[in-house]
Amino acid sequence: MTRRANATWTVTVVVPDESSLDAAGETVELEVAEHETILAAARSAGVWLPADCQQGWCITCAARLVEGDVVHPSARRYDDGDREAGFVLTCTAKPRADTTVVVDQYDDLLEHRADRGKPPGNAKLGD
Amino acid sequence: MSDEKEHASSGVEPGDTSKRVGMEVIRERGVDPEELREKLVDAIGAEFTTYYYYTNLRMHLAGEEDYKEITEDARLEDRAHFELVVPRVYELEGSLPNDIREFADRASCPDAEVPTPMDDDGGFDTEDLEVEDILEVLLEAERCAIRTWSEICDMTRGADPRTYDMAQRILNEEIDHEAWFIELLSKERDGEINPAGHFARGEPGDAPYSTNNRFNDSA
Repeated sequence: MTRRANATWTVTVVVPDESSLDAAGETVELEVAEHETILAAARSAGVWLPADCQQGWCITCAARLVEGDVVHPSARRYDDGDREAGFVLTCTAKPRADTTVVVDQYDDLLEHRADRGKPPGNAKLGD
Repeated sequence: MSDEKEHASSGVEPGDTSKRVGMEVIRERGVDPEELREKLVDAIGAEFTTYYYYTNLRMHLAGEEDYKEITEDARLEDRAHFELVVPRVYELEGSLPNDIREFADRASCPDAEVPTPMDDDGGFDTEDLEVEDILEVLLEAERCAIRTWSEICDMTRGADPRTYDMAQRILNEEIDHEAWFIELLSKERDGEINPAGHFARGEPGDAPYSTNNRFNDSA
């Protein structure tokens, strides 16, 4: 993988058919600078992705990494378990390679957190 | 009720107390009232935890009485936001978690902790604690709240005027708070004049938007 001179990566955003987002069923390609988050780049490009805190905490913006590489330098609540399961938080995720993500994965990450006894899944889906 | 006039039921039979027209009218307008209610619980969880954390943050603004007072306004107004919306959660057939740890875990904004570790004596290690670091925590907490209440405004606009009214009033105050902390952090950290455009609240934690038409007496 060669880092581009302008440190910009192509991020392919897949919006599932079953999503309630306006872009359901669409696949959008974004050019995302390495200092930029996927969420910010998407919204700047007119693609409305879900988010709330935008500090890597609430998981509203959860997505799944299909290929590529991202980092979460400022996420407040994102751990190795999330990473190993392939989840990313688009509000703080910055690309480090050409990347593909499937967005609108809040319910799945919430369940994944609950299964591991981690917040907010433990609080919202627990016994 | 007139015999001739059909009851505007929203799918609720006359006398049925198992459903609420106040929820069904929201559903009819395309918003899931249960989903909204859970988002409200998350949002007021953040207001409540912020109220707690700001207690610590303001105490550690030692010697900065003006900063303390402004943080106190924000602290009390965040509590007012919690109080304002709690009844709405119950109207939407929800409840607060019985366990406060659950409530904090599901809060939609990060913990606004004092940005220094605890020392060996159980207090805060304040040796390297800077005022500007506390102001940055305060600023980012307010920014999170702005995003949350903007989301709730988006979710309820044109569908649930009662929740929208609360959310937009809270949002007004959160935007005030952000402006205050931008002004203070700009001055403290960067030596820049970056006016909020506001003057002090009339009384500590006045909450001029979220309590100007009280929803209940505790708000």
